[in-house]
Amino acid sequence: MKKTIFTSVMLLFVAVLGLNLANASTDKPHVYINPGHGGHTSDDRNVVVYPYVQGDTMGFWESNSNMYKCFALREILWKKGYKVTVSRETNTQDDDLALSTIVSLCNNSGADVFYSIHSNATGQGEGARVNFPMGFFRGYTDQPENPWCKILTEKLAPFIIGNKCTVWSSNSYQVWGDWNFQPSWGTQGYGVLRGNRTSAMLDEGSFHDYYPETYRLLNKEYCWVEGFNFSRGADSFFGRSGNFDTGVIMGNVRDDRLPREGILVMYGADKRQPVNEALVKLIDDKGTVVQTYTTDKNYNGIFVFKYVAPGSYTVEISNPHYETMTLPVEVKADDASYMNIDLKRIRETPPAVVSYSPVWKEGDAPVRCNEPIVFQFNWDMDTQATEEALEITPKVDGKFVWEDTNYRLVFTPVDAYDVDTEYTVTLKKSAKHGGGVEMPEDFTFKFKTADRNHIYPLAVYPSDGDQVHYKAGALMEFRTAPLLNAFNLSTYFHVYDKNGEELEFSKRTIKNNKAGDPFGYCKLPLLKELVPGEEYRLVVDKTLCDTAGLQLVEGKEYKFTAVDAGEAKDGPVVADFEAVADYVATAKESDNAATAKLTAVTDKLFGSKAVQLAYTFANYDLCGAVDVRVANPNAEVFAAGDELGAHIWGDMAYNYLDAVFADGNGNEVAEPLGLINFHGWKYVTKKLTSLEAGKAYKFVGYTLRKGPDAETPFGLTGTVKFDNVLKSGTSGVGELNQVSHVNVGPNPASDYLVATADALIEKVELFNANGQLVAVNPSNFVNVADIASGMYVLKVYVSGQVSSHKVVVKH
Amino acid sequence: MKKILLTMVGGFALVASAQQVTVTSNSRLLKGVEGPAYYPVLNSTGTQLLFASGDAYGLKIYDFADNVVNRISDEPGAGIDATFNANGDVYYVTQKVGEGNLVYRTGMRFEKATAKSEVVLEAQHGYVRPDVGTSGNGFKGAKKSLAPSKGVGTSVCVQGSKLFITTNGVTKEYTPVESYAGYLWASLSPDGKKVAFFAAGKGIVVTDLNGKVLSMLGKYEMPCWYNNDYLVAQNAKDDGHQFTSSQIMLIKADGSFKTNLTSATSMSMQPTSAAGKIVYTTIDGLLYQMTININE
Repeated sequence: MKKTIFTSVMLLFVAVLGLNLANASTDKPHVYINPGHGGHTSDDRNVVVYPYVQGDTMGFWESNSNMYKCFALREILWKKGYKVTVSRETNTQDDDLALSTIVSLCNNSGADVFYSIHSNATGQGEGARVNFPMGFFRGYTDQPENPWCKILTEKLAPFIIGNKCTVWSSNSYQVWGDWNFQPSWGTQGYGVLRGNRTSAMLDEGSFHDYYPETYRLLNKEYCWVEGFNFSRGADSFFGRSGNFDTGVIMGNVRDDRLPREGILVMYGADKRQPVNEALVKLIDDKGTVVQTYTTDKNYNGIFVFKYVAPGSYTVEISNPHYETMTLPVEVKADDASYMNIDLKRIRETPPAVVSYSPVWKEGDAPVRCNEPIVFQFNWDMDTQATEEALEITPKVDGKFVWEDTNYRLVFTPVDAYDVDTEYTVTLKKSAKHGGGVEMPEDFTFKFKTADRNHIYPLAVYPSDGDQVHYKAGALMEFRTAPLLNAFNLSTYFHVYDKNGEELEFSKRTIKNNKAGDPFGYCKLPLLKELVPGEEYRLVVDKTLCDTAGLQLVEGKEYKFTAVDAGEAKDGPVVADFEAVADYVATAKESDNAATAKLTAVTDKLFGSKAVQLAYTFANYDLCGAVDVRVANPNAEVFAAGDELGAHIWGDMAYNYLDAVFADGNGNEVAEPLGLINFHGWKYVTKKLTSLEAGKAYKFVGYTLRKGPDAETPFGLTGTVKFDNVLKSGTSGVGELNQVSHVNVGPNPASDYLVATADALIEKVELFNANGQLVAVNPSNFVNVADIASGMYVLKVYVSGQVSSHKVVVKH
Repeated sequence: MKKILLTMVGGFALVASAQQVTVTSNSRLLKGVEGPAYYPVLNSTGTQLLFASGDAYGLKIYDFADNVVNRISDEPGAGIDATFNANGDVYYVTQKVGEGNLVYRTGMRFEKATAKSEVVLEAQHGYVRPDVGTSGNGFKGAKKSLAPSKGVGTSVCVQGSKLFITTNGVTKEYTPVESYAGYLWASLSPDGKKVAFFAAGKGIVVTDLNGKVLSMLGKYEMPCWYNNDYLVAQNAKDDGHQFTSSQIMLIKADGSFKTNLTSATSMSMQPTSAAGKIVYTTIDGLLYQMTININE
């Protein structure tokens, strides 16, 4: 606090001293100028803008523009009677001096002030680009190491921010102590300010990665004006303002309508195109052309008239493609006059459609249901009049996007077009170009749409009512028949807790489908643990789309509950799956060549290990099975009607799992546990209905079965894990497939698919491989006689629960 | 003090002979006694050390024998380019912003015997810096200079891109190498026969007393004679805004050998050397004292 007060008093003192002593000295002030960076090397800053390529020394390099500013400042300060020293004269690696060398050279020179001239960069993505000037001195912002350095910075500020031919994103010059601005550097600060004995500051005049500014900084005269403004800052510091007898005019020539494109972030007038090669004449009050300037080809529209005598002038701007314009301008001594000029384009013919899309005629393949409608015009168009002139029948809501500087209109339907529908598109003649002239006549075309306009979920986990093991990494998965557009795919999925707070996914381990995959998917592991007992929602945005851009019919929401699948249960453990040597895996005899391998894994619920079964099948269209058997079955006896409890880690491969029991003679009986349609650990219970009444059985293992699903894209390969199996005395957390007492047949079917269950079946729904609903019946059967052969999923609704079954229709 | 024994065999491109350099000690100096210390300067016998108490502020003197630090000045800039006179007095420069917001610099002498400072060259606008000679020190100023009563003997100094060598009362001007930005850090070898200086854009240059270039040692900074055959120097890299690495180098004056004495990540800088002792600081102002052994 003491130091703050001391510093404030010092600042006040030196400010007053500065005012009193201004103009009193006859000595030339000595300014040391350091054009920052140099040498076009790694410690330089290269921003690639058209037409220059990476590394082209003619393109934007901060060292170039810093040097242009520096030379301008030197030239003007010399004219103003200063002594000037600069740290480099050319832009080679030899001139790129070490920071401590620059400081020592400055100290050795006996200079009074030191300017290090730079431009800034956000160092972030293009969406974060900004443009404003900043000045730095050594120390804390409110406690400069040398109070004169802060004064020097503040004296410069109004002249730099006063540049009206750039577009600032923030209209203030930020003044910072470098220790505040770069706190991670401690008190190291900027290298050219360390140990600098002069009144020293470092200026970041604008942001060179704000692309419109990048182009301006390619113009040497634009940089010259910044040098001129620096000289006014020096004059202000040394009390020498107003002693220069000429002024400067700088202007920016832009099209009055044409939008600038290809740059993500633009502010204000920068959103319109600069005009290259505009001839600008400066005409005095006697009509004499005193200076001319032609804007360059670097897309900045900048013109500059230097050393202009004070007075009234006219500026005439011409270009063959624009109407010539004249504007008055006043020039004051030692001041800069800024002009922003908007030229009107000459358009000599009426507007016309040059090309359009989709182009379709009778007999052509139908058009994709989300195909945008595109018009290419001969002129830049009046966007509002043209949008109002567009008529589509049947009516379609959509978004308008203008491209190619308003030469191209893209209309994208908000939702997909209807399937198998002929649309008529008319652009009425009221559409106008930028000069206000209408089209001579209406323009009309037609197209017909294809038979698919949306994507549908093929499988999802968790589905409505599912239970999810609470541990971090719980995997959510959404599958579709077509491949999903993998760009930013995870952003279409959200998981919310009961308070509506969105949970994070583990971004590093998200997996998306890739080219060649048999179906579309996105696998999203949750970053943190869930709270057992609490309800969550998996939400899928409607805008999720496949690689053709087709979206969901509507957004999806799936409610699920977090549980602890590993919580303690009653009942004796009949298999603990601790030691892999206690279990044997074999691929059952079949013509679907299968492999099976058991390994011990630490991802377990009980003890120290679980056993993992890795399996493969060779063909989608054949049955197959893999056995996992207990080498020495536990003595615990099961009978019909008993309940089995099993801890299973699912792979969502949609294969079937049976618990297997053997009687005293070694005869095995399989008790179906249902589909493995989930990810992660799950506690599954099953009342044993397949065992013969009156006989005693022992649990001997599992059989994993693959059905004869010709077009099933799932289940060829996978891994499941097993942990404790127990003879359960209590009701379980859930069963595999929720309502596994549902049976569906025949499979394959050619006429009817019939579902049976212990309870009332409310309805059945049949979905094709693309997830489209192809049949629904509020009963327990569906007629498939007119449905094409292939793989389908039959959803059976029983007592408020839903059960999914893969079925094959074969004619 | 725990001695750090490091051995570095020169493996650089310029190595012509297989010198072996051993760092026999490297330890913190004034640890816990002083805050950040910069711009260390040893006297010719290595018994006293000047340093700036802050970044560039103030000037202090440390006596190795007494292990005592005394304050010479609190003035801004006093710690930069301070020098010892042959008799142990200290010559340094202070500065103030004055008339017209110009910087006025004053030549100061700290008398060892009385431990007091006095103005020996009145404040003037422009540069003022000590002129170090074998017979005595003076000051070079933009307008006025101060010569010692006995003359400087042999001295070297730089101004802009000129090297000034004074022998037997005669000063001659040389431009041994082209350098737009200028020369810095000129010094005489302990035997008074060679001159080392830094030319911006070219690096360290060694000449004889006639300005004839004997060797060019590369783009290192702040050269300082270790003995008549070797120099220590700073090898700093930056990204245009801040230092990214800095280390202390040992370089043979004929250019036949060089090796690093500290690692690039040590951020060690501003070396000074005398009587077989090397002192340097770090970017955060920690002083270190190092001794080395060179086996040729």
